[in-house]
Amino acid sequence: MTIIKATVSAAPHAPAANAAPTPRPQRRTAPRNQFFAFRGTLSKRAKILTAIGATLFVLGVWELLTRLGLINATFLPPPSVTLETLWNMILHKNLLMHAGISTLRIWVAFALAVIMAVPIGIAMSSFRGVGAALEPIVDFIRYLPVPALVPLSIIWFGVGETTKIFLLWLGTFFQLVLLVADDMRRVPQEYVEISYTVGARPRQMLSDVAFRAMLPSLFDNLRITLGWCWTYLIIAEIVAADTGLGFVIWAARRYMNTSEVMAGVVAIGLIGLVTDQILRLVHKRLFRYL
Amino acid sequence: MAPAPYLVFDGVAKYFGDLEVVAPSFNLTIRRNEFVVFLGPSGSGKTTLMRMVGGLETPSVGEIRLDGQPIGAPDRERGMVFQSYSSFPWLTVSENVAYGMKYRNDMTPERKKKRLDHYLELVGLTDFADFYPNKVSGGMRQRIAIARTLAAGSEVLLMDEPFGALDAQRREGLQLELRRIHRQDAKTIIFVTHDVDEAVFLADRIVVFSNRPARMLEDVDISAELGPDRTIALRDSEQFFKLRTRILRMVRAATGEEEKV
Repeated sequence: MTIIKATVSAAPHAPAANAAPTPRPQRRTAPRNQFFAFRGTLSKRAKILTAIGATLFVLGVWELLTRLGLINATFLPPPSVTLETLWNMILHKNLLMHAGISTLRIWVAFALAVIMAVPIGIAMSSFRGVGAALEPIVDFIRYLPVPALVPLSIIWFGVGETTKIFLLWLGTFFQLVLLVADDMRRVPQEYVEISYTVGARPRQMLSDVAFRAMLPSLFDNLRITLGWCWTYLIIAEIVAADTGLGFVIWAARRYMNTSEVMAGVVAIGLIGLVTDQILRLVHKRLFRYL
Repeated sequence: MAPAPYLVFDGVAKYFGDLEVVAPSFNLTIRRNEFVVFLGPSGSGKTTLMRMVGGLETPSVGEIRLDGQPIGAPDRERGMVFQSYSSFPWLTVSENVAYGMKYRNDMTPERKKKRLDHYLELVGLTDFADFYPNKVSGGMRQRIAIARTLAAGSEVLLMDEPFGALDAQRREGLQLELRRIHRQDAKTIIFVTHDVDEAVFLADRIVVFSNRPARMLEDVDISAELGPDRTIALRDSEQFFKLRTRILRMVRAATGEEEKV
């Protein structure tokens, strides 16, 4: 807060710098105000520093609350203990193996969802008939809570891998299919018509233009739904599992081992954070023209 | 002596459900290589008429014929240039132009390359060939679209307010350019606009439309008065000014703006 106050009070002195004809000096006096300017700009460095600062602040408060005894560490172990537990679990409890298995399950289920959702979604928005036929079904299933389908899933697929993959798929496919349909719907009609008027057949128009045009937003939606897929991990891995992060968390809960529960949760969060950042980078690389 | 008809609107009308967009019965004959401007208020149905030539809409009544043949599905014979989304953002300038020839199996790759270079040169984009559209000006993006339709081999160019989103200077520059391209690489052009100045400067012939449903109110032979050569100097001439005023009055009468003035 003191920093912000300082810049506000410093503003009246700024005109001296503003008098220079080049825009540079202005920018040098402005950036701190940009912090709270609606849709203001922030340098990359300031952004990273802010992100790190905010994270450390939250961790610090958390640490302090438990250290001071304001919160019982049995229920909320401080970050230092959580990190320590995480490290110990990596060394002695095969946490990386569990994380790997969970990641594999997620990616298999997600890949299945993508392979099915992309063509179906495209068909739903491209052909009125397909859309009219599928929309009610998709909308109905989309609203069903995945946990409610655990018993059915066990009856259908038993307690093996299939059930786990099915539950993860269930949580993503029906959301994704509508997002894909929406991406296709937003492809400008002009692109379609340009394609037809230079002699493309419908199939060529779809693959060369419509699909290509929707790709950036499709990629974004895949990134977002991959995150949703992870949120169903616990549900998928509490069903007769003996591996995976969901299993680890659920097992630790049984012994009130809160720090291990926290460590498992943090592990999921970290995987998510890293995956998301990588995918953002890939997006930037793939779609330089944006 | 009447020149041979090329593009013929024969008793056309168009309805979208209950909405009458083009009033019966619309008749117009356009000659080969004629530059015709459809001038009228926004939403008057003139764009719909042009889209029917493109095969993107079908007449509810009547028929449109090109060179004696009824117009069917969209075809590269009739190319479109839109106001926005006129080029693909994921292709470079030259790839965008080359897209016009993508589905032409009747040309060798060498021939396509030659044509590509030719049309890039014609619209002055050679130096920007490897840029993505988001890195060039709005005016250049419209030139990409023009070059693409020419490369595709379109005989008829259908332009839907192509310069509508540009600033005044760019607009003027592109209008000159379009006239030059029209003379150099003769095509039949239907150009839709609501800008009287633009219409008079570009057109061989202006068709003035009423409010929706579209009706032809006037058919003015501009080339008879201004000749085929259009220069910046012409723009400032009294002759141009008088003609512009005359057309402006027609448009005002068409939209009922006269009483308000």
